[in-house]
Amino acid sequence: MTTATLETPSQAKPAKQKVILCEGNEAAALGVALARPDMVAVYPITPQSSLVEHVAKLIADGRMDADIVDAEGEHSVLSVLQGAALAGGRTYTATCGPGLAFMFEPYFRTSGMRLPIVMSIVTRDGITPQSVWGGHQDAMTVREVGWVQLYCETVQEVLDTTVMAFKIAEHHDVMLPVNVCLDGNYLSYGTSRVELPGQAEVDAFMGVKDVNWHVALDPLRPMAVDPLTGGSGGKGPSTFVRYRKGQCRGMQNSLRVIEEIHEEWAQRFGRRFAPLVEEYRLDGADYAIMTLGSMTGAAKDAIDEARDAGKRIGLIKLKTFSPFPVEALLKSLKNVQALGVVDRSVGFRWNCGPMYQETMGALYRLGRHIPSMSFIGGLAGADITVGHFHRVIEATEKLMTGPAPTEPVWLNEKD
Amino acid sequence: MGRSYNTIAFDAAKCDGCGDCMTACATAKVGVGDTARSRIQVVGSADDGFELALCRQCGDPKCVTVCPAGALTKDGTSGVIDWSAAKCVDCLLCTVGCAYAGIALDAGTGHVAKCDTCAGAPACVPACPHDALTYITTSRIYNEVGDWEDLFAPGLAGCQGCNTELLMRHTLRRVGPDTVLATPPGCVPGMGSVGFNGTTGTKVPVFHPLLTNTAAMLAGIKRQYKRVGREVTALAIAGDGGASDVGFQSLSGAAERNEQILFMVVDNEGYMNTGMQRSSCTPYGAWTSTTPIGEGSRGIPSQGKTQDAKNLPLIMVNHRCEYVATASTAYMEDLYDKLDKAIQASKVGFAYLHVYSPCTTGWRFPTDQNMEVARKAVETNFVMLWEYTPGEGLRFTRPVDDPLPVTEYLKAMGRFRHLSPDQISHIQGKVVENLAFVKQMVHRASV
Amino acid sequence: MEHTKYLVVGSSHAALEAVTAIRMHDTEGSLTLLTRDTHLPYSPTVLPYVVSGRSAPDGIFLRDEKFFADNHVALKRGKALKALHTERNAAELADGSEIAYDKILLATGAAPAIPPIPGLDQVAYHVLRTLDDATKLNAAIKQSKQAVVMGAGLVGMHAAENLVKVGAKVTIVEMAKQLTDGYFDATAAGLIEKAFTDNGATILTGSRVVKLAPSAIGATLTLENGTTLEADLLLVATGVKPNMDYLAGSPVEHERGILVSDTMQTSVANVWSAGDCAQAKGFFSNAKVMNAILPDATEQGRIAGMAMAGDPGLKKYPGGVPLNTYHFFGRHAISVGSSKAPAGAEVVTRFDEANGRYLKVIFMEGRLLGIYGVNEFFDGGVMCQLILRRVDLSSVKERFVANPLAVGRELMSKLWR
Repeated sequence: MTTATLETPSQAKPAKQKVILCEGNEAAALGVALARPDMVAVYPITPQSSLVEHVAKLIADGRMDADIVDAEGEHSVLSVLQGAALAGGRTYTATCGPGLAFMFEPYFRTSGMRLPIVMSIVTRDGITPQSVWGGHQDAMTVREVGWVQLYCETVQEVLDTTVMAFKIAEHHDVMLPVNVCLDGNYLSYGTSRVELPGQAEVDAFMGVKDVNWHVALDPLRPMAVDPLTGGSGGKGPSTFVRYRKGQCRGMQNSLRVIEEIHEEWAQRFGRRFAPLVEEYRLDGADYAIMTLGSMTGAAKDAIDEARDAGKRIGLIKLKTFSPFPVEALLKSLKNVQALGVVDRSVGFRWNCGPMYQETMGALYRLGRHIPSMSFIGGLAGADITVGHFHRVIEATEKLMTGPAPTEPVWLNEKD
Repeated sequence: MGRSYNTIAFDAAKCDGCGDCMTACATAKVGVGDTARSRIQVVGSADDGFELALCRQCGDPKCVTVCPAGALTKDGTSGVIDWSAAKCVDCLLCTVGCAYAGIALDAGTGHVAKCDTCAGAPACVPACPHDALTYITTSRIYNEVGDWEDLFAPGLAGCQGCNTELLMRHTLRRVGPDTVLATPPGCVPGMGSVGFNGTTGTKVPVFHPLLTNTAAMLAGIKRQYKRVGREVTALAIAGDGGASDVGFQSLSGAAERNEQILFMVVDNEGYMNTGMQRSSCTPYGAWTSTTPIGEGSRGIPSQGKTQDAKNLPLIMVNHRCEYVATASTAYMEDLYDKLDKAIQASKVGFAYLHVYSPCTTGWRFPTDQNMEVARKAVETNFVMLWEYTPGEGLRFTRPVDDPLPVTEYLKAMGRFRHLSPDQISHIQGKVVENLAFVKQMVHRASV
Repeated sequence: MEHTKYLVVGSSHAALEAVTAIRMHDTEGSLTLLTRDTHLPYSPTVLPYVVSGRSAPDGIFLRDEKFFADNHVALKRGKALKALHTERNAAELADGSEIAYDKILLATGAAPAIPPIPGLDQVAYHVLRTLDDATKLNAAIKQSKQAVVMGAGLVGMHAAENLVKVGAKVTIVEMAKQLTDGYFDATAAGLIEKAFTDNGATILTGSRVVKLAPSAIGATLTLENGTTLEADLLLVATGVKPNMDYLAGSPVEHERGILVSDTMQTSVANVWSAGDCAQAKGFFSNAKVMNAILPDATEQGRIAGMAMAGDPGLKKYPGGVPLNTYHFFGRHAISVGSSKAPAGAEVVTRFDEANGRYLKVIFMEGRLLGIYGVNEFFDGGVMCQLILRRVDLSSVKERFVANPLAVGRELMSKLWR
């Protein structure tokens, strides 16, 4: 795996890009504009609201030629987009938390209909307790529904990934909806220097739009979309199985496509992001911690300090969470002796973080036992500081010699 | 071949033999009220009932075939059998050919005379003081519909006697092939309109939306086609449950945004496709499988639904939709008129058409009684037929000034069989109240 | 050789109804209509009105070219059938050509029967069966001062009335004891006779022409009793005989007419017959009779067409019911059903001599057998149904006789509304 730096510009020199200062939500909106969707449907919810406000303003100012639907709720937001996608439109929306929960009925269906809708999740913790702050609980809760989910670390990555998400979703080997997850509060409102790709270059990158070649509601090629399928007789069982299997194949195909498109992005725009799994200072590491999203910045600082202090520690960051990049992750874990996994959400059934739980599944395939433990932090807008990561590093280091705890460590419990 | 024509219909039960129709006819045709010279003749008696001797404008007219002079011809456009004075030779053979006494000698002229429907405005019809005569003009619809392509597959699997298939086929024929059809879960897709396991039941693009998001999905479709400059009708044929209950939010949202959708609700007053459960459109007192009849507990018997129906079309009026109307398959001409207006309205905004659809299975009445039940609903004012536009306000399209008692409607079906006198008087009271309420809206529109 | 699926020979009511019936069931099969007449289809029944000038000769056609084009019918006018070769399903035409058919309908109608009276072939005379006959006669009556009509059937009476109206001195010679024999009884015939004599005509019933010879103005007729009549216009209207000479040498059975079954099929496969040339079952007798009247021709033609096309809706011919109407000097006579009272029948009459109104009703066991009236209007079609349905009128007999119009309609309203 490659590392996330600006160190390797492509042979063909990328065009000079405009530099601006903006928050993550605005970066997402700018990414959407560059991708030229036909329709954006919106319903405001904290901490997503400024994102759709930016989109609305871009449209109002004529900087983005898209139809905007101010729907009466998230359920209709996604439904409107499904209709537009079936009619051939490129579509986008954003939501989070309770909005995503309300959207769940059409959300479940989007991947089954193989509609390449792109949706940002400005991640927010789940209620109750009532909360309007960041956390991955919303996106994690819907992780098993057939959407591709990509988690961003920086504001720049939010912008770039938002554009790439359309191309991933619409790839004919994928044809699945994509969530671009950006952490509520930290990325949504975090202001940062961003390079803005040129429209012409993005147009060249995106190619020709063709989003409903496989399923359409079009009088020029009439078909029944989603007839009653399944049951125990006739063609039912095999037809249903082929639908489901196709979805799973699309998910697996996306692992390759995500890598290819990130590579193309790097070639064209000079920024290379690890598509699936990022390794940070993993060379020579005996043990490692795993992170997701914006917490990685603080984690990398803690790793640097630990390395300086002589600890043989490295970092593994997931960008692609769904589909779970098992092979890529196993490759990164090849020399790792102990693993600490930090989640910003809760897996209630296993009493651990969801990423930890998923990773345990991958570890089973490793063929050797690695002691591991789950850390849960940053819930409902709480900080995970460099200090917290030092605690994570220390606890993970102890796994090398001591017993592994079965309980998760709740990082902010005593803050 | 196969044309349908307007016709004068006679309801023997309403005729008292007064002869006003004959006077009107004779006056219109020969200038004097001599009933013997009328071309419509009331025959029979008060004891045995009355009948008409009147030209039936037969499709295979014997009078025409036996005329040696070519004086009688069936007009292919109006369907009327025309008599030519210039060609007639007064031979009377036509009177021998007709078995219905529809053409006879007029002693005043020495020529035969027959009904010519007064060129489409028969004088006899308005003259009848008992509404025993009606001029049925729905033929236009059937002729036109016959020329349009049926866009559903043959053999949809509806319940016997259900009017929904009729409604679906007529609607889609009228709306035409440049349509995307949404049929949310319910009887309409249950009949097979979206097909099964990869088949389709429709010749236009059709889909199952969720029960909850029909209007929203259609909005997306319509907007996308508009964006690329294509004229496509976004049509929903939805059930009452999906529209008034769980789908109401998206319906209301789309109506508020004035999305260019034609949204038709087939109101069978419950979740009939899934086994006849109660919806918010189920009327008070009705048996459904979730408002069953039983002894109850604490001394309170269970006697059907305990709340009145939600009046969804009136709620849609309050969205100030481009067009809102109620309709019934017992009044197809009215329905078609509204369908045409709704189609036009849907080109500029949200058009909502609420069609009452008696459910033979769920309402428990014989399968041949669908139209009769639908008609009784209107004749008792249980259902009111009206239309609304923001410009013209609300108006009755078939006002019933002298309604039958609501029991005439209730007794037509099994779901109301258990009603107590109190329940019946509650329903009758609601009919009166609803009428007054709608009348008030009509009044408001007129000031 | 030309081939057609359906070959219809004739172009009047029976033929035209057959064409319609075939096309109701088979819209595609090739259909050829052959007529020896050069005109478009017309009805022989209308010809007296062409003679009188009431009907314009070009206004009587029952179908136009467009009808045949619209229905994919090859119309061949001026083509007479000369012989039928049923063994090879071929029709030989007068011009020597042949048309092969799958099924053929013989609806060739009838022609005037010319009585074998010495000298008739020596004098000029008119007949009235074709449009050409009618236009010739129409021209002739305008010149006539004294005319003789042989035969007091409906055709002859119509022509005589026309002649009277243009001012000719008209004599009608009829073999039978009364005029319109076979349609009306003596009382009715008397009313008709009176109308004619009141208008100046001479009626010689029970008279027979035995000899004819040319004369200065036209012809001299000698009657059985020795009387002679001078005629500048002679019309022979002594009856008709079916056109079926083309059957000579064919196995198609025929007596007075072409014998047909209840579905108008002849004795030979693929050959049907209908109309004035057919001899079909009578309603009252079951024997095969000639019922050469217009309404029956349409009925037979329709049945034949349905049978030829294989229409499953075919219903068998119930038998011919005589139906006649006659209009004379502004008065009318209608006759439905049997005009003769068989043994055991009950006959009720009503006669208003002052107003010239007469009604005769014949019942058999309470059921209607026949009804006719002069200046007494009733619905002939309703009466015919009462006969065909054998409706028991016992309980309403008096009322029925008093007012057949109202009571007939009342029964209709209950029985077949």
